[in-house]
Amino acid sequence: MRVVWLELRDFRSYDAVSLEPGPGVNVFIGDNGAGKTNLLEAIGYLSALRSFRGAPDAALIRDGASGAVIRGGIERASGEVRVEIEIPAEGRRRILVNGKRPRRHGDVAAGIPMVAFLPDDLDLVKRGPAQRRDYLDDLGARLSPSVGANLVEFEKALRQRNTLLRREGPAADLLALEAWDERVATAGARVVEDRLDLIEQLRPVLGAAHSRAGGGSGIEVRYASAWAGAGVVAGGANRRLPALTDSLREALSARRVRDLEQRTTTAGPHRDEPIVELDGRSSRSQASQGEQRTIALSLRLAAYDLLAAHHDTAPVLLLDDVLSELDPTRAAAVLELLPRGQVFVTTARDDDVAAVGWRWTRSGHDASWQSDDAGGTG
Amino acid sequence: MFEPPVQRLIDELARLPGIGRKSAQRLAFHLLHVEEADAVRLGDAIVAMRREVRLCIRCFNVTADEQCSICRDTRRDPSVVCVVERAQDIPVLERTQEFAGRYHVLGGAISPIEGIGPDQLRMQELVRRMDDEGIEEVIAATNPTVEGDTTALYLARLLKPLGVRVTRLASGLPVGGDLDYADEITLGRALAGRKEL
Ligand SMILES: [Zn+2]
Repeated sequence: MRVVWLELRDFRSYDAVSLEPGPGVNVFIGDNGAGKTNLLEAIGYLSALRSFRGAPDAALIRDGASGAVIRGGIERASGEVRVEIEIPAEGRRRILVNGKRPRRHGDVAAGIPMVAFLPDDLDLVKRGPAQRRDYLDDLGARLSPSVGANLVEFEKALRQRNTLLRREGPAADLLALEAWDERVATAGARVVEDRLDLIEQLRPVLGAAHSRAGGGSGIEVRYASAWAGAGVVAGGANRRLPALTDSLREALSARRVRDLEQRTTTAGPHRDEPIVELDGRSSRSQASQGEQRTIALSLRLAAYDLLAAHHDTAPVLLLDDVLSELDPTRAAAVLELLPRGQVFVTTARDDDVAAVGWRWTRSGHDASWQSDDAGGTG
Repeated sequence: MFEPPVQRLIDELARLPGIGRKSAQRLAFHLLHVEEADAVRLGDAIVAMRREVRLCIRCFNVTADEQCSICRDTRRDPSVVCVVERAQDIPVLERTQEFAGRYHVLGGAISPIEGIGPDQLRMQELVRRMDDEGIEEVIAATNPTVEGDTTALYLARLLKPLGVRVTRLASGLPVGGDLDYADEITLGRALAGRKEL
């Protein structure tokens, strides 16, 4: 799978740019502010339909422009997919896949596998559970559209229940609250079931990635949930979903008084903690910075491997300014992926990546990106 | 800005659901160029609908009389009521010719985000009908959305204590379509909810 063409209009620093990337490694070389990360961000948007930097859509529009446009062609085994996104300064964004609106946005991410390695990936290990929940949910949605749909449904139900609690507090209609409890419980149980399934798939792949990145063999992922006991979480795949639904329903009802007072939902998948352990220690609080870096990298490598196996094709790999920060062993683990598929790398120094593939430079802010002949511009 | 009469029409059209500024302009200019009689007929149709049509006093379906034709039909089973979000859902269910009971139009679904709670819907009117009409079963035919599902769950909690059976439309696969074209999520849920034959 690869991106064959990309066109941007009024996106970030670009008024107009078009690019036909090479099939293998594409290295974008330039100083800070040269616009290389913006380019990767646009490529990532074609699949995730959002910024990998977590930027709101409005931030993607060039100053003073009426809207941004990202267009790209992606070649898959089944033919070329054309993705077109218009982000107007006012009003709703428009997304077209091969000229038609996708039925669900999640279908786009599930159909176009991409993995981004980012400078702040260390946050996956170092920061709170939200980062690790997002990691699991994003990867799950890329592996199966139903995971994405389950998430959307849960988030909607949770937002509704929280709005009811916030607006009405202790005056909330109890029957309506019970109805929302039930809806949140069925949707939430599906989300946790999806996460547990993914963790089971992830375990062996993550172990292998961790050794490749220079770490030991003692890496383990656990799922901690205050409302679903260890017995429920460990239950067999067929019995787990009803047990999770019952547990969450009971937890919501047991915490009713607290939820009404705090005016928010205090139990559920949105409060759960996926934990990565190294030799039985929590990697978040009890691992060295070096160990944390290796784990963060392994999580990305494992995502790449799972997606590659699932789609039977190498995902598009986005490496934003990460190679220069890695030591030789870790960098080697990443570079091992390079021959497998299409890669977009940004760097300030042009000696980060060996002289393979296409090397893109830009002579000024208004200039277009030019590639040398190393990749064969033909 | 256009000439005031044109602008006024554009503004009115743009307030309709699903019609943006550009479509409103296109429609207004289309109406400017058709035969005058055609434009007047459209205006008359709108006025006539508003003057002649009202809501059925029993089920809140649209009707030209006090009660809608379904409520007036004595052959229909008064013990079963199908609850829908909007009046336009009724013709869809009627076309199946599978349902011989009556209807109740709630006027929407529970959605705290939109400020819609049970009190903003015709729930109390429905509760009153249980006794008045001797209703034994309520079919929750609200939309298969998070809000529609929750409204159905609410109906069950509201009506079961009154000794009424509350059922929900089964969701499943579109009949006559190929399995490989079915929506993955619908298919997944249909698989999870499979039944013994
Ligand atoms: Zn009626």
